[in-house]
Amino acid sequence: MIHQYKLGGYNIVLDVCSGSVHTVDDLAYDMIALYEQHTKEEVLRQITEKYGSQPEITAEDIAGCYDDITALKEQGKLFSPDTFEPIAGTLKQKTAGVVKALCLHIAHTCNLNCSYCFASQGKYHGDRAVMSFEVGKQALDFLVANSGTRHNLEVDFFGGEPLMNFQVVKDLVAYARSIEQESGKHFRFTLTTNGLLIDDDVIDFANRECSNVVLSLDGRKEIHDRYRVDYAGNGSWEKIVPKFQKLVEARGGKNYYMRGTFTHANPDFLEDIKVMLDLGFNELSMEPVVAAEGDPAALTEDDLPIVTEQYEKLAALMIQRRKEGKPFTFYHYMIDLTGGPCIYKRISGCGSGTEYMAVTPWGDLYPCHQFVGEEKFRLGDIWKGVNNTSVQDDFMACNVYAREECRTCWARLYCSGGCAANAYHATGSVRGVYEYGCKLFRKRMECAIMAEIDRQFSKSE
Amino acid sequence: MRHIQTIKTRSLCESAKNGGCGECQTSCQSACKTSCGIANQQCESKQQKKQ
Repeated sequence: MIHQYKLGGYNIVLDVCSGSVHTVDDLAYDMIALYEQHTKEEVLRQITEKYGSQPEITAEDIAGCYDDITALKEQGKLFSPDTFEPIAGTLKQKTAGVVKALCLHIAHTCNLNCSYCFASQGKYHGDRAVMSFEVGKQALDFLVANSGTRHNLEVDFFGGEPLMNFQVVKDLVAYARSIEQESGKHFRFTLTTNGLLIDDDVIDFANRECSNVVLSLDGRKEIHDRYRVDYAGNGSWEKIVPKFQKLVEARGGKNYYMRGTFTHANPDFLEDIKVMLDLGFNELSMEPVVAAEGDPAALTEDDLPIVTEQYEKLAALMIQRRKEGKPFTFYHYMIDLTGGPCIYKRISGCGSGTEYMAVTPWGDLYPCHQFVGEEKFRLGDIWKGVNNTSVQDDFMACNVYAREECRTCWARLYCSGGCAANAYHATGSVRGVYEYGCKLFRKRMECAIMAEIDRQFSKSE
Repeated sequence: MRHIQTIKTRSLCESAKNGGCGECQTSCQSACKTSCGIANQQCESKQQKKQ
């Protein structure tokens, strides 16, 4: 299977199953489109009819292009068959019984009252609560005990607002560091915060201990303050921006993400990205809102062409700024064509419910943070482990071939079947397909690959 | 090839032979939390890094 598209002045051909990427001229672009459907004679006839009158195109040239396509096919770089499906289950089974990442819901409470919050203002449709040190410690012990031979273990401090329980966060990190040597594990901590409680102590901690911090900012002040308000209804933009700037400046090059959410109120989210850049942030992420259909924040079909155009303009802006010596990164456009994920990862996906789980303040285990509060998805707890094996089996069976729609999608080995939570909320099944998200994902991948091609060509000039 | 330029990429077919060490980052653990894919993840296999 191949995917062809034109973007940013490039004609791009992706060979889906080998992962090969080609840039071609118009003649080869058209010839590749015809190649599998017609005989050689017919392909040459059609191409000659279209391009033969151009003085620089000879009959030998056209025949040579055909031979080049044939050679690439023989090398397994074009029209390569999908040979992975029979081994998909076996590949995913490699992770069976191994947990390597936990999302610790350190606080089911929040000091902001954002109406678009998928976690219902941090409460996850339940009671307000904070995680005790004892529960957190047991979660870390559970992670170590179930991590098999994995060396790198990931722990995200999440909420609600995790800094509302900051002392426990600090104590848990100190505990984890104290057991790293004896357990032979390395913990990578991340912190996701709305920023209100950032102070010098938090900055020092985050920059010393966290491999990444995720900072929530939606961009333009009026856009941010539309949803990200306190319980009195006051916007938070003016309070958090100086704190974020101080934290990032002190970070000294360590990773962070300025992470925004765009909604029906700002499908033109590139304007928000530009505000983030103007504020001095250059590691950016901007995510489509997760909202039920009919929610005023939810993206609509009318928003779709606007959003896809914004993605294209964002790629163009990245290229322009890189050439001006002012580069920035966008989370979904970070693609390393030579050092990216292996086929195992591409088939297995995010690992929710298997390698990755969320832990509530009470120590309950869920397949991921987005399922917390959905009682039927409760997997077990951190003392007794997973006992709801039927739900875990559903997640274990989630691979890129589990969804009929994915089998014919060119982006399947870039997306791996997508987000189980999005699928569940859109269709009622974790093995469903959230088609709106698919459309956005495919556009993002086209943009990401184009921007990477441009980067490589610029480097070689 | 006059009409086609092939970009250097990782061969997915080759990675089927030695992939799956599992050390790479869990996709949703970094920035998105809501709309993950896997294409932007880095391979952390020591074997791959040596190649």
